[in-house]
Amino acid sequence: MTQHLDRRHFLGLAGVTASAAALAACGGPSTSGTPVASEAAELDFSGVKPAAKIDFWSNHPGKSQDVEKAIIEKFHAKFPDIRVNLVTAGANYEEIAQKFQTSQAAKSGLPGVVVLSDVWWFRYFTNGSIIPVDALVKQLDIKLDDFRKSLVDDYKYNDKQWALPYGRSTPLFYYNKDHFQAAGLPDRAPKTWQEFGEWAPKLKASSGAQYAYIYPALAGYAGWTLQNNLWGWGGSWSKEWEITCDSPEAIEALQWAQDSIYKNGWAGVSSKEAADDFSAGLTSSTISSTGSLLGVLKSAPFNVGVGFLPGGPKAETNVCPTGGAGLGIPSGITKEEQLAAGTFLKFMTEPENSAAFSAATGYMPTRESADMEAVLAQTPQIQTAVDQLAVTRVQDNARVFLPGADQELAKAAAAILTQQADVKATMTSLKKTLEGIYEKDVKPKLG
Amino acid sequence: MTRQLAPHPSTKPTKPGPAATPRRRRWTQRTRRDFFVFLALALPNLVLIAVFTYRPLISNIYYSTLDWTLGSPSATVVGINNYVTFFTSDDASKVLGTTAIFTVVTVGGSMILGLLIALALNAKVRGTTFARSAVFAPYVLSGVGVGLVWLFIFDPGYGVLAWLLRGIGQQSPQWINDPQLSLVMVILVYVWKNLGYCAVVYLAGLQSLPQDVMEAASLDGANGFRRFITMSLPLLSPTTFFLLITSLLSSLQAFDLIRIMTPLGTGTSTLIYEAYLQAFGAFNRAGYSAAISVILFAILLVITVFQLRFVERKVHYS
Repeated sequence: MTQHLDRRHFLGLAGVTASAAALAACGGPSTSGTPVASEAAELDFSGVKPAAKIDFWSNHPGKSQDVEKAIIEKFHAKFPDIRVNLVTAGANYEEIAQKFQTSQAAKSGLPGVVVLSDVWWFRYFTNGSIIPVDALVKQLDIKLDDFRKSLVDDYKYNDKQWALPYGRSTPLFYYNKDHFQAAGLPDRAPKTWQEFGEWAPKLKASSGAQYAYIYPALAGYAGWTLQNNLWGWGGSWSKEWEITCDSPEAIEALQWAQDSIYKNGWAGVSSKEAADDFSAGLTSSTISSTGSLLGVLKSAPFNVGVGFLPGGPKAETNVCPTGGAGLGIPSGITKEEQLAAGTFLKFMTEPENSAAFSAATGYMPTRESADMEAVLAQTPQIQTAVDQLAVTRVQDNARVFLPGADQELAKAAAAILTQQADVKATMTSLKKTLEGIYEKDVKPKLG
Repeated sequence: MTRQLAPHPSTKPTKPGPAATPRRRRWTQRTRRDFFVFLALALPNLVLIAVFTYRPLISNIYYSTLDWTLGSPSATVVGINNYVTFFTSDDASKVLGTTAIFTVVTVGGSMILGLLIALALNAKVRGTTFARSAVFAPYVLSGVGVGLVWLFIFDPGYGVLAWLLRGIGQQSPQWINDPQLSLVMVILVYVWKNLGYCAVVYLAGLQSLPQDVMEAASLDGANGFRRFITMSLPLLSPTTFFLLITSLLSSLQAFDLIRIMTPLGTGTSTLIYEAYLQAFGAFNRAGYSAAISVILFAILLVITVFQLRFVERKVHYS
């Protein structure tokens, strides 16, 4: 059938096209400006009355729902004019980020306070999705200098404070004390990976476990824990914004990791959660977050030891990244809501609440003055995580500041550790990918 | 194929006389009433479809022309740049290849196994009612639940499969960490979950075959295999055609199992999952993700039109 385009049809088609364009243009982003990072303009909350109700979006890190509810009840008793509604906004940091970014796009339903992980807060900053909390710190007299310096400094950029630490962790070295004893090894974590390389064959021979050591699941946060290996060999994912994952040191570190699986045969890679594999007796040791500590202590039917992460040939002391989540305040809500959120943020991170959160989860207390005596009496292993802060390092930009880089690091790690891919070729390809992400998604927004 | 051409202007018939003028339909009270009934019944649905299907579709096409980071209040118009980026990237061949493998194997596997199971269930033996329910049950289960349970089965550390393999002195393959095996794992579970649907639809088709024709073939000396190839299969072609369309569309849009079993999409990133990963999983490239969604939409449209126009010609309805 053929149809001639007469005037009536043309006008009809034009009308449909115009309607479609109008419909499509409703909502969505503005196309009149260039995307830039959050403006660091001074916010002033003087004369603002806090909102009567805000939402708190959390993924309850470390199974913290009960302790979060308890702290919120205490908040309601102290501030009866502000109601905080605890919302389960995801099962992990990625799901909570999806919900938050979708609400940003929809321009509705934003919370007062949101949990943001180490790899997400910078993206919120570059999108202008969160406010700097400096004005609230000043107005509400939040004692920034009482926070553990390395934890609070993680959220500083352009001389502004963009979040406060909340469920903060470091990875810990978990080991099966019974296996170590049976192998005639000292009751401590290895000082270096080389030392563990000497221990591992003995462990595997005597323990009956499938592995002497299991690398954390790659779908989790492989890029986070592998920083310990890279730093130990003098390498890194990046130095500032320069991608260095293909340096000889980085390649040597990852080659050693690959050899531990394929050449030496004493290590494996977790499929889901290394802490669960360890608790189930599948391996004699692993690395996992401090947030897994209480769960491991509860479920493991053997004596659990924890220690600092090992160093390497180029790092004589132990080397460890920090991690975990902080709390931020969205930019797309009213000043009244931001002030109420700031009031809640201050309360949530008070020393006694930081101690209560730490006791319930195993995460580190974020305040220097948090009274940890009772907590440490009950779970002395938490002290190891606190002490390890002395050897922590700020994470590589490539992992925490490049969108999607964590997933790319995990894919590269999977190729090396589960498919025996050539380390140098994999790292060269990864470098190209990471540089592409920086050039496309980050550099233009930093101005 | 022949194409109907429009008559050349010079061959256009001269102005027809009054007798040839089509009669203008009269807008009687009855037709007016019917029209309002039609509007009352159809309009709410048309409005809902326009708002919740066509508006997002049009919006998505518009977003695919933007360089837009999800969550950012502003974006830049880049025209077809997102499409060019996708088709010139290394990922395009991987994603399209994974999509093709996943779709062909899951659709083929579900239909072939479904047909074989339907043949078995069509036999007049005891216990077929229970067997039918058992075969169909996975189809109605939640994909999330199915994915979680199968993850435990496939776990190379303490999964049932690893335990069985250890029993015969074998190590479990790295089903979850190895990208190639991840794809095999997800395909196996997808086929297991969906073959019940194909089996039940094929069973209904088998039971509606004309028995007199089948008996006549039998009397003529055709054995079971020959009857199946020359009689049953052609007569089942409407069922096969229906299953092919629905299974293809469903397979190209499979999401829940992939999301639960391989959250990073390593080795299992089909077009729809890549669109999800690009916008929500990692990069927050909403415009790029929208372009991938439009490409998927175009593929689905082409496949459906092709099937309706060409494959249906091979179908015997009687």
